[in-house]
Amino acid sequence: MEIKKIKNRPYDDITDYMYNVSRKDGMETIYERFLQQQPQCAFGALGICCTLCTDGPCQITRKAKRGVCGATADLIVSRNLLQKCVQGTVANVYHARNVAKTLLATGEGKSDYEIKEPEKLKSIAEKFGINPNKPIKEIAREFGKFFISQINSNDYEELELVKKLAPKKRLEVWKKLGIIPGGPNSEAATALSKIMTNVNNDVEDLLLHCLRLGIANEYTGLFGITTMQEILVGTAKPNEGKVNIGILDKDAVNIIMHGHQPLLAIKVLEKAREKKFQEKAKEEGAKNGIKIYGSLCEGQQIFNIASEYKDVFFGQIGNWIQQEFIIATGAVDALVFDYNCVMPTISEQFAPKYHTKLISTDKVIRQAGVERLEFEPDKANEIAEKIIKEAIKAYKNRGEVNIPELKYSAISGFTTESVVNALGGTLKPLIDVIANGNVKGVAAVVGCTTVREFHSGEHITKLTEELIKRNILVIGAGCCSSAMQNVNLMSLDANKKAGKNLASVCKSLSIPPCLSYGSCTDIGKIISTAIAIADTLNVDIPDLPIAASAPEYMEQKAVADAFTAVAFGITLHLSPAPPVLGSQLVTKILTQDVENLTGGKVIVELDPIKSADLIEEQIINKRKKLGLK
Amino acid sequence: MKKLFINLERCFGCKRCELACIIEHSEEKNYAYYLLNQKEPKTRIFVENYLNRPIPLVCHHCKDALCISACISGCMQKDEKTDIVRNDNSEQKCVGCWMCILNCPFNVIDREMKNDELQAIKCDFCANREIPACVEACPNEVISVIDINE
Repeated sequence: MEIKKIKNRPYDDITDYMYNVSRKDGMETIYERFLQQQPQCAFGALGICCTLCTDGPCQITRKAKRGVCGATADLIVSRNLLQKCVQGTVANVYHARNVAKTLLATGEGKSDYEIKEPEKLKSIAEKFGINPNKPIKEIAREFGKFFISQINSNDYEELELVKKLAPKKRLEVWKKLGIIPGGPNSEAATALSKIMTNVNNDVEDLLLHCLRLGIANEYTGLFGITTMQEILVGTAKPNEGKVNIGILDKDAVNIIMHGHQPLLAIKVLEKAREKKFQEKAKEEGAKNGIKIYGSLCEGQQIFNIASEYKDVFFGQIGNWIQQEFIIATGAVDALVFDYNCVMPTISEQFAPKYHTKLISTDKVIRQAGVERLEFEPDKANEIAEKIIKEAIKAYKNRGEVNIPELKYSAISGFTTESVVNALGGTLKPLIDVIANGNVKGVAAVVGCTTVREFHSGEHITKLTEELIKRNILVIGAGCCSSAMQNVNLMSLDANKKAGKNLASVCKSLSIPPCLSYGSCTDIGKIISTAIAIADTLNVDIPDLPIAASAPEYMEQKAVADAFTAVAFGITLHLSPAPPVLGSQLVTKILTQDVENLTGGKVIVELDPIKSADLIEEQIINKRKKLGLK
Repeated sequence: MKKLFINLERCFGCKRCELACIIEHSEEKNYAYYLLNQKEPKTRIFVENYLNRPIPLVCHHCKDALCISACISGCMQKDEKTDIVRNDNSEQKCVGCWMCILNCPFNVIDREMKNDELQAIKCDFCANREIPACVEACPNEVISVIDINE
């Protein structure tokens, strides 16, 4: 039965080239698998399918308005949504805990890392009653321990992190709603108890719990990850680098660091500098030695601090949808991955076909038959050395190599601090250009890429191009950053596509109109920039002419991040449609009613141009309220 | 003359009709046992993707059915009383030439292993039931039986 219209193909030329290579080699890719899954069941897509108990699965249909237990569409939708939100939150918190564990171990002298940003550590530790005059290792130990204890605290104890760090105006709002969270793991456990069969049928309570998790996701997840990683490996600084699959070098031993946790990657970069390894690689025939690249969010995070590693770090390869195509170049000798975003087909189909040596470095992402070198703070150097040796060994097994010729440059490494530095030590110049209308507002375009509504990257690209054309500054993070880099939107060249006013502002600062803040976990940094602007103006976040968009959102971490945005009072555009449309009540709460509670809301629009219209409208409304024209 | 009528707009693509069809035409009459016996699921109604919408494809039991004129063994026949087109209700036996599959304009005939021989299978309008299983299974009343003589 083949009545299928081929719709989904990669959007950008580089990925499309590699797609053709993979197909020619007889490989089935994400695009074929998506087609094979069509048509997909709309009950699931609308969120009205419940598989919790053996009386189910139940769906809300024309014939049945309630599940066997009596659950309505509203209840099933909100239970399903909370479940996804829990999963996303605990995944971010897991990452944060790993970083905190490394910080603690560093403080105890049981790690291969040093404190790279002592001032940052002191200033954050001081807020929690840790004496900044103590030896720096002692501060690291105490703060690491404190952070882990926050993660493990109970849901009936309000998080210190939230109480001390959240803007006052936000705290008032959250207090009124009763959504100041306790420890995230405990919050998650409570949420999972709530959504069991026959427990809770209060839709509002379930959705408010999503907001609690959203706040916990920010402070014990995103914020913790970014801050502690910066303390351990350095703060992001704007720097120019090469991007996309075309940068792979056929004459080098290519190692790709793939995933979300950059700590080990830093050690691999340092090891790759050692002459003995570079020489060994050359002996094996790789005349350009060893080259390290990043992919996914891990790559974006290395890219952020890459100014120190230009001799061994050769760029950011791509987003999660491209991973099969990256391997299909035949030029990847080792793919080293930690948690999140590794397709099962990498170990089962692609790596065996294209000689790539796979190494997993985190206990949650074990894959059958793949060598495990699991990260421990005091084993990082040892593991890094093994990785390089394995990659050199794998180089000999190479077959045909196919690397696209196109490559682009991009600038990355923006963060609240580096934006302030670029502006001469204060946010005032940015506020001035927003106030005078040269920059209408700021839109964060963040999150995953998906093959659902369009070719992957199409919505991101079209929406971003439209926003900068309308003089709206774009901040990218996660796979969205990669999608923009693949079409050259994060280089100075992109100013040609920007509106006249935005382009002149960006040119005067020598920045692109789309600023990469890094990985999807760096969304916390975008929020901290928003907080900094709001504080400077003495207003609350919902008052700012800003909006966020996850134009190709895909998995559960994005659901948690979405609730973080809404809890912080940010209007968030989403596409594809989240699985809530089966309930009119939940849809109305998320797209309308919640605005009266937190100031944030969700807008759903699948067309990129119309999405840009809605985001612009949002920004213009906020400008009017602030008395700006 | 009874036909399956499809109300396309209502189809959610859940494939409950396919499941019901598989179970109805299995010996086990139970999907779990059927799969435990390691049989490949064979449906006679097909929910396919067309222009990004689910579309259930059903046998039309055509008036001048091409599958009947193409059948070389003569097993594909139209029941005079009910107008249902079947290949498993006559003295002749399916020989597996697949001419019916090639000629069916709706692509709703498949092959199945029966007693160690591959044979063509198609919608029999659920010969043992009053209402076809797919009609009963559909949660959104997409598929219904209509009598076109009325």
